[in-house]
Amino acid sequence: MSTALQADSIAEGRGAYRRLARRKLVLLGVLAALLLASLVADLTLGPARYSYTEVVRALLGLDVPLSVSVVVWEIRLPVALMAVVVGAALAVSGAQMQTVLNNPLASPFTLGISAAAGFGAALGFVLGVSLLPAGWSAWTIPANAFLSAMGCSLLIHFLSKRRGMTTETIVLLGIALVFTFNAALSALEFIASEQALAAVVFWTMGSLGRTTWVKLGIATLVLVAIWPLFARQAWALTALRLGEHKAASFGIQVGRLRLQTILLVSALASICVSFVGTIGFIGLVGPHIARMLVGEDQRFFLPASALAGALVLSAASVLSKSIIPGLILPIGVVTALVGVPFFFSLILSTRSRPW
Amino acid sequence: MSMTRRGLLALSGAALLPAVPSLAAPAPVQVTDITGRTVTVKAPVERMIMGEGRQSYLVAALDRQNPFGRVVGWRDDFRKADLDGYTIYEKQFPQIARIPSFGGWKDGAFDIEQVISLRPDVVVMNLESKVAIDDGGLIGKLERVGIPIVFIDFREKPFENADRSIAIMAQVLGREEQGRTLADYRRTQIERVTSRLQGFTGPRPKVMIERAAGYDESCCMSFGDENFGRMVTLAGGINIAATLIPGTFGVVNPEQVVAAQPDVVVATGSNWKLYAPDGAWVGVGPGADQAVARQRLRKLMERPAYRTLPVARSNRVHAIWHQFYDSPYQFVAIQVLAKWLHPELFADLDPDATFREFHERFLPVAYAPGYWVSLSA
Repeated sequence: MSTALQADSIAEGRGAYRRLARRKLVLLGVLAALLLASLVADLTLGPARYSYTEVVRALLGLDVPLSVSVVVWEIRLPVALMAVVVGAALAVSGAQMQTVLNNPLASPFTLGISAAAGFGAALGFVLGVSLLPAGWSAWTIPANAFLSAMGCSLLIHFLSKRRGMTTETIVLLGIALVFTFNAALSALEFIASEQALAAVVFWTMGSLGRTTWVKLGIATLVLVAIWPLFARQAWALTALRLGEHKAASFGIQVGRLRLQTILLVSALASICVSFVGTIGFIGLVGPHIARMLVGEDQRFFLPASALAGALVLSAASVLSKSIIPGLILPIGVVTALVGVPFFFSLILSTRSRPW
Repeated sequence: MSMTRRGLLALSGAALLPAVPSLAAPAPVQVTDITGRTVTVKAPVERMIMGEGRQSYLVAALDRQNPFGRVVGWRDDFRKADLDGYTIYEKQFPQIARIPSFGGWKDGAFDIEQVISLRPDVVVMNLESKVAIDDGGLIGKLERVGIPIVFIDFREKPFENADRSIAIMAQVLGREEQGRTLADYRRTQIERVTSRLQGFTGPRPKVMIERAAGYDESCCMSFGDENFGRMVTLAGGINIAATLIPGTFGVVNPEQVVAAQPDVVVATGSNWKLYAPDGAWVGVGPGADQAVARQRLRKLMERPAYRTLPVARSNRVHAIWHQFYDSPYQFVAIQVLAKWLHPELFADLDPDATFREFHERFLPVAYAPGYWVSLSA
């Protein structure tokens, strides 16, 4: 009798779990569909006003005028795909940063990554300093930004390895570095010529316009390489959200997991930032959108973060070139303008606590 | 003996004071600057601070004998933004390397104590720094110690403000006569273009102006309906970004360049070795190597925004000295543009000769061609 009841409740629980999982999968599907729609819009809209069929023919490599194929393949496609990859990468970085630092305000930039990258880029713009050997001049700015951002992350990494470091101290360290690099950046801006100053300012506002296929390839590769590492830790990271002590009691080496994750996240964010400049908002808001939709379970949370980030940045890319046709507004600015109202509406309409 | 000693004393005194050969002794003069403020300046000034080093372009044309004698401080942009031009001047006036320089003037963030300690008779600022200067209350602070600030402008609204800016600087330097000659010359040279275009009804070519092309990887900074944008209009062209960019500067979608199918491409460039040693900019300017400039310009036309355009493979792709945009020499740029846009109409116009003549009549340095370059088909 009682075993039958038990079996019933188990079956009921399993059913509830399946319904929940199915609902989450449906939400993932919706996000993916929206992302696809945004990507299509990004590829078909533009001041050159090509028809849908022309764009498709160009994409398929069929016979189209040279200008159509150049616009589609070299101007629209790399930018549209970069928006998706960078959006996903930044949101994933933000998601894991929030998880391991147990802090809803964390983003890939909390630890000073974007400030350091901006400083590295400005070194190149203002003083002509290159951290690369001569002959690699085309890569000066991204390489400067990347090396400087990674330097900052490694500093945090080694300081965090000291005994007694808590998540709060790591965040504090990061914030101190943010201020340091911002001050150094301002100092460079202060001595910059107006030409160099304009370049630095444009860079810090973020731009997908510098995308090339090689950069897109590198960013994609890094994202694809890091993804399985996070996926493998999915359960451990989920457990971490129950609290450090509970996670430790499950046998998870919390300290190691945290350091490892911070390092991976830093690498991922540094790559993105060095190619597109500072697009800060995605890394904060992407994971929050995902959490409100699917919750903390990393098996859903991670892909949902990636999709939400990619969607917001892709939509921002469409808007940045459509608000004033013919001009491109800085993507960092548009991202915040698109993301904030969406984010507000989610926060206000969600009954459960977002964090 | 005593005569010699007195002579020596006088000489050493002259060495201490900036040597300004002026006929009139300094006397208080009312100067109305470009913002409409009227200030009292003891003119001709003997000690002057230039809020932008490139005000030298104007000062040199107003006083070719002794352009830098009264300059006791300046912003450091002349050397940094126009290395080739600065080098030419430095060769002739080695003392300019020792003029104290400041950064950050555009933000009005200069050190007011340093300014006061240099005891200038006047501080001449560019209009674009007015907001920051007002913000810091610097005008009042300097006035209380008897240092007037005067604003001029060749950048924000060069065509409305150039004549008056020349007159203001001339008044401050006590070179009014030369100022009038310079303004007349400038106006006459611009009219050589505008008067001929007045009755012109033929087609006006569409022009893509790329600002600081190749300075960094992104494409394409451009001008709205001011500055180079206005110069193109005056020279009988249609600036394709005029209706797109609301202010003076902006970024155009590279795709827009493809869509607009410009008939002429003009890139601005300068020797930015000190700022972007790895940039793909076209280093036109005084004495620039034409072959190198042409090669770099050709390389810029391989970018996706230009590659498919018929114009990219024609002889209607040009580069021009970026600093024309912030100098009283814009009349040269207008003539160059006019000749590029309407080669037949302006067949007899020779901007190179104009600029050479201008150097001979007004400037202390010899003319070194190289301020512009065109691709050959």
